Amino acid sequence: MLGYLNRKIVSNRLAAVAHYFDELILAEIRKNNEAALGELYKTHYPMVVNLVCSNSGTEQEAKDVYQEAVLAFYERTQQPEFVLTCKIKTYLYAVCRRLWLKRLAEKKRFSISIPETETFEGVEEETSDALEKEAKFKHMATALNALGEPCRSIIEDFYIHDFSMEFISGKFGYTTADNAKNQKYKCLQRLKKLFFGDQRIEK
Amino acid sequence: MNENNTSLELLDRYVKGTASPDEVSIVEKRMQEDARFRHLVEEHSALAQELTNYGKRVQRKHRLDSLHAEMEKPVVALPVTGWKKYRALSAIAASVAIISIAATLWITQSLRSKQTSDYLELRRTVDKIQKSQTALEKDLKQKAVVVKPQFAATGFLISAQGYVITSHHVIDRADSVYIQNEKYGSLKAVVVHSDPINDISVLKIVSPVKIQPLPYMLAEVEADLAEDVYTLGFPREDVVFGEGSISSRTGYRANPNAYQVSVPVNPGNSGGPLLNSKGDLIGMISGVHTQAAGATFAIKSTVLKQIVMDSVLDSLRAPLKLSRQNTIKNTPRVQQVKKLKECVFLINVYKNE
Repeated sequence: MLGYLNRKIVSNRLAAVAHYFDELILAEIRKNNEAALGELYKTHYPMVVNLVCSNSGTEQEAKDVYQEAVLAFYERTQQPEFVLTCKIKTYLYAVCRRLWLKRLAEKKRFSISIPETETFEGVEEETSDALEKEAKFKHMATALNALGEPCRSIIEDFYIHDFSMEFISGKFGYTTADNAKNQKYKCLQRLKKLFFGDQRIEK
Repeated sequence: MNENNTSLELLDRYVKGTASPDEVSIVEKRMQEDARFRHLVEEHSALAQELTNYGKRVQRKHRLDSLHAEMEKPVVALPVTGWKKYRALSAIAASVAIISIAATLWITQSLRSKQTSDYLELRRTVDKIQKSQTALEKDLKQKAVVVKPQFAATGFLISAQGYVITSHHVIDRADSVYIQNEKYGSLKAVVVHSDPINDISVLKIVSPVKIQPLPYMLAEVEADLAEDVYTLGFPREDVVFGEGSISSRTGYRANPNAYQVSVPVNPGNSGGPLLNSKGDLIGMISGVHTQAAGATFAIKSTVLKQIVMDSVLDSLRAPLKLSRQNTIKNTPRVQQVKKLKECVFLINVYKNE
């Protein structure tokens, strides 16, 4: 699944320096350094705004595309076996370009061609991976929205925030933990139906 | 329902990894035996995984959103006071004015380079005027006596001994006479004989100079009517060629000593030689009829010869030997003129009046 990110562009000395900073930022992000992520985010955002806005997009769309790419990169950094093999800038540019082209295709605007100034090997997989994750995320969001309250909060509290059943029953005012558990069971069954059911229909 | 609940709790613990080793082995054993149960477990763990992923993604999105908001934080502008408040407005007004002026000039074509060059020329002229003015002032102050020649005319050699013939009216009452041409430069000359009646004067070059033999000679017979003739003269600083023909064998008021010729002449041509196509010297230009067009008068060579022989040749100090051969007889006119040019002088006359 993990494609090694090979440089396509032959490195020169300047690139080597940039690479050094990239490694530094990567290490800091892995340490969960909020400032490093912010630095990364701010550094490359203008490039993507330029890319999208000069190809019939808005700043909001640029933000969406960029965040998707940054999330994909961030998730990669959380994998311990991940090694940086191209500039972060290259990675973000190539992924954003692909994502934006896909969006344009969805909008039925095929006439636009964006020059591929820099790219890396495995950009296809990275993009489709990012898209798949985003699709799953959106699917889950719709399912949870359809679930309604208080089911949604119970499920979120238990499975995402890892709260104990006792805490949850107290929070929602159930007399016993068993009642809460019953409620949770019903909710989960419904969520299963919503999540997998829709997926089956889609398939 | 209760049974479902308990198995769900077990599954939850199994998925979250908090189940005891016994429970894990029970679940795994049952998964192997019961396909339906296995499906249930897989489905449950997949859902739990998706929920976890969803939760993480929500959290990360929040982080990015907050980063984005931070980036877009508006810069706090300092309150603007005084005239600075209107700086932008005045800048706009100024640029509008500049643009409209430039557009007007461009539309009316006033920015053409023509005007600029005109202006420069004007300045140069003013400079010139200023220069000449200062020069004049200087002259007045110094009272420098820069004597300029008052009259200029033409003359030509009649002998290799340095005798030059010209019109009497040219050198009348002269203080000094200088003659010059391309070949010999400027030479001083003195008047040795004057004949006011026939308007002839003979000059002698006094500057030490070796004169080349003359290429022409004085014609002994009178020229015929309609004969082609030409002359060289100095109506300006450089020698000028003019041609025509003999119009009449008498001059002004039927003067038998002169020809009337149709050669265009100007003041300064006086004293110029008149030659025919063979290169014989047949006369000397003396004047024009002011009321008639194209009527130039030239004194006949026979008269010239007579006067020169009568008056000058008997001078013992400087004997005058007339040229006796014509070396340009059979050459084309261009060659004739080339030779002749060396014997024709611009005569500058200085008078102190």
